[in-house]
Formats: sequence, C-alpha cells, structure tokens
Amino acid sequence: MARQQVLEKTKVSDRMFLFQPCVGSNKYPGLITSATEFFKKLGIELVTSDDQTCCGGFLTFTNVAQPTSTMPAVARNIAVAEEMGLDILTLCNGCHTFLTEFSHFMNDRPPVKNVVNVILSMIGREYKGSQDIYHSLEIIYKLKEKIRKNVTRSLSGMRFATHYGCHYLNGFKKTALDDPHMPTIMEELIEAMGGEIAEYGENRTCCGTGLTQIIINKETLSLPHTKMKLDNLNAAEPDAVVVVCPYCLAQIDRMQQKLNYRGSGEYKVPVIHLVQLVGLALGVDVVKLGFDAHAISFKNFLKKFESVQAKAEVVDG
Amino acid sequence: MHETNKEWLPGFDKKFAELTHQMVKDLEKCLQCGKCTGQCPAAKLSSYNPREIIRDLRMGNVDKVISSHELWLCFFCSGCYAVCPRDINFPFAVSMLRYAALAQGYGWEEVKEIKDPYAQDYYDTGLSVNVNERNLGVRKEIAKNSGTDGRIETVRRKMGLPPKRKISQRAMSEIRFIADATGMTDLFKEIDKKVAKEKSWNYGSPADLVEVRKGPNQKFIDVEDEEKERIS
Ligand code: SF4
Ligand code: SF4
Repeated sequence: MARQQVLEKTKVSDRMFLFQPCVGSNKYPGLITSATEFFKKLGIELVTSDDQTCCGGFLTFTNVAQPTSTMPAVARNIAVAEEMGLDILTLCNGCHTFLTEFSHFMNDRPPVKNVVNVILSMIGREYKGSQDIYHSLEIIYKLKEKIRKNVTRSLSGMRFATHYGCHYLNGFKKTALDDPHMPTIMEELIEAMGGEIAEYGENRTCCGTGLTQIIINKETLSLPHTKMKLDNLNAAEPDAVVVVCPYCLAQIDRMQQKLNYRGSGEYKVPVIHLVQLVGLALGVDVVKLGFDAHAISFKNFLKKFESVQAKAEVVDG
Repeated sequence: MHETNKEWLPGFDKKFAELTHQMVKDLEKCLQCGKCTGQCPAAKLSSYNPREIIRDLRMGNVDKVISSHELWLCFFCSGCYAVCPRDINFPFAVSMLRYAALAQGYGWEEVKEIKDPYAQDYYDTGLSVNVNERNLGVRKEIAKNSGTDGRIETVRRKMGLPPKRKISQRAMSEIRFIADATGMTDLFKEIDKKVAKEKSWNYGSPADLVEVRKGPNQKFIDVEDEEKERIS
C-alpha cells in the first residue's frame, strides 16, 4: 500500500486506548507518561485499563504456549478496548504485531473467532474485531504538522540516529506506513521537530533481541550482533538513537552497559523512544520523560540540549 | 539427551492442519534465490541458513530440520520476508516447525529458558516482564544516573507512578482461566517436568553477577534479597 493510502486509513480520535507494553512500563515507565502527556497537549486523551495484561502473543512465538491458548488471551485484551469503544494505540512493535496479526487471523476465519468467543463468553467478554489497531508511529506521523506547530523546545543542533526495529516494517511490508528497506518517516518527524539526522549503514538491522535470542543464544548470537550494530552506530556520532519499540530500547540501552562492564569498548549513546522525543520537543516535564530508568545516562545529552535551547532563546530575544 | 516422547502437543499436524498446509504451499513457491540468507542476522554469525532449511524441507528431510540446533537460531526479525520475491513468511514457518520439534521431544531446554521467568511472570503477575531489575550492573547504572537506589519501583515513584504497574484482580483471574482451560498451564508444568533446572537470570550471566558483587555497591547485590522480593 502506498503511504498515502495508509495515512488515509489512519484515523486519529480524540480518545484512544493506550495499550501498555510490559517492558515499556515495568522497565521504562517513561514511555507511558511521555505519550500520555504529549498527546494531551495535542488534544488527545489516552486511556489505559488495569484489565489489560501482557499482549500474550510473545508466548506463542516463543513457543511456550500454543496459538490455541494465546489467541483468546490476545482477543481478551482487544475486547477490553472494544468495550470502551476505543481504537488501540501501541507503543511496541511486538504488541502491535501480535494484536494485528491475531485479529486479522480471527476476522478472516469465523470458525476460529467463534471458538475464541466461546472461551471469552465464560469470562463475560466478547471479541468483535470492531476497533482499529495502530502503531504509535502511524498516529504520530499523521500528526506531523500539528507536532511541528506545537514544538516548544526545538531539537535543532541535536543529531539523531534512527532505529525502526524489525516487526513494524518487515512483518507488514504490504500494509505499513513506509518501505521496509529505506524508511524515512522517523527522519521526517525528527526534522519536523528541528533535529538533524546521523545516518549509519546498519540502520535496518535487528537490535539483537531476536525475540528469544537474547535469552537462548545470548553470548553467541545476540550480543555479538548488537555490538556490530553499535560499532557502526557510534561511528556516526549521534547525540541519541531513536527507537519505536521498548524491546529495541532495552537491548540497545542495556547491552551497552554490559559491553562497557566487560571492557569491550566504551558505549554511551542514550536510547530514546519516539514518544519520549516528541514529549521532549513539546515541552513535557523532563522527570515525566523517565530518562532516570535508562542504563545509559542522558546527562550529556540534556546538557547539550539545554545549551542549544539557551542559545535559541538569546537569538529569539 | 533428546526425548522421544511424542505424547506432548499430540495431533500437532491435525490441530494446525490449515496452517501447516499453508506453510507447505508457501515453501513450494521458493526460488532458492538466497536473498533471505544474504541478509539474515543469524546466518551472518552462525551456520544457520534459511534457504537451505527450505530446500531440506522440500526434499523431505523434515526430521533433519526438526532435530537441528539451527532451528533455534532464528531472530524472528522478518528480514527474509521483507526481501523475499515470493513473499514467503519464513519466521512463521520456523515457529510452526518449533512446535513440531517439541512434539518430537526436541527444544524443551530452549523453551524452558523462556518459561522461567517470562511465561511464569505472565501467569503470576499478568505481565511477562517483572519490575524487579535482575541485572545488578544495570541497577548500579540506574542508581548513578537517577540518584536513587537504582530500583525501577523507586524511579516510578519519583515520576508520580505507583511502584509497579497495576493489573486488576479480574484480569488475573481471567488470564488464569484462559491458561488453565486451553492447556497453557499444563504445558508450563510439562516444561518444568521435562527440564528440571535452576532458574535462569534474564539480563546478565552469572559471571557478570559475581563480578558486580565484588564492586563497591555491595548493598545492591544481595541475590537472596532479590529472590525474596520476587516471591513476595
Ligand atoms: S528469498 Fe524467498 S524465494 Fe529466495 S530463497 Fe529465500 S525464501 Fe526462497
Ligand atoms: S526471521 Fe529468521 S530466518 Fe528470517 S532473516 Fe530473520 S533471523 Fe533470518
């Protein structure tokens, strides 16, 4: 699908269901608060629910639970948003993939949907397939011009590398907002907020989490892969790297700590989720951005950012 | 030792007939062009080769694939699907083949690594990622950066959030009902039975933990304390 078609289909509502990711709440709580705060500034209310659990898809594709078990678990989470009549906004490539793939699977196969609903009826819920599921990148891109107008702290003078991760673009090569090989949507967004782009060759390679590889083949596959990516990234000398998935965030942030700890180099690129970056540019309180939970310090980043802001003020004044 | 017990995931092929047929039809379309392998992160670092796996499957060497170590090296990055001229969703095939491997007694060790702690956390707390930071090196960095004790609970409080994300009682009983009714819980038990093993720590190998323990931040790294906290 061409980008224009995807954008036309993307509906921004003034109330949306914020699907909370596990890593993006219990490891990096800043994702939830940043998103909630900056969407509020744009007139959009993000609603959460304590009835929403882990999406559940992770368990299927790591083979610890069969699809027959996780399909109803995923459908239950979607039903929670459906009961509120809200479209779903995801912050994680994983949640987005599992919710989207499973709902397509059920919507295309009425017998499967019926079986799932037999189970859900026993807990007083029903999966209808009535609401849209969006990746935050889609909604944020759709709001690009509005964001541009609402920037209160320009990112000018700051250089950002991007990392799109695997599952949004690769897995949805026919329906995603951008081309999986040479995407530019994040770059356009960063430039709309005044930032500059640090290009690097390994942009489109996996962060190294590899779904289970960080757990089952950490030393032989995951870590060497991440190191290769980081070495390439570092050569571009970005002030930060921007991601759209909490798993990528955790991998790139935490593996730097590990490599440093093992004396395998000096890695210190802060990793920032797109919702934190937009929050920063739209003036969300820095404490709410949640940089405190990151392993790689934002101290130098914020120092540079503030000095750039101070200079801009002098020019403006 | 590989198990040959075929009792588990019984009738795999029948239950997932539609999916497996689709997978076979998909793999038949393969041109053997090798674009998938050319960009594959696992292939770059190991003997893994998605094109070759597809060739083996088409030649009927199913057992070879199912019993192979390579089957457990895929990153699920879908990069192969993105470049494939025939739109073959190979990671999806890998996922199905892994279930087939489990049905033949292979791969239980790998699955156990995921079950503990992630899947167990899902069953116990509703989330597959625990708020408790198990990598003590990371906790030390967070402590330094945030001026706190380095615990995510503390950072969350500082941000005006409850110490960990709340999951309602209703949600907990619902997901447990689904897990019990659909065989998820039984599969978890079977994994535990087949692979009796000490709990693995997520980020951080034992070597990392031991070394941190010698460091200046002694007080952060009482593993027993962590253990108590996890259970409570
Ligand atoms: S890229 Fe597609 S067609 Fe080419 S070898 Fe790989 S699976 Fe086959
Ligand atoms: S999904 Fe698996 S086979 Fe495909 S490119 Fe990624 S690691 Fe290789």
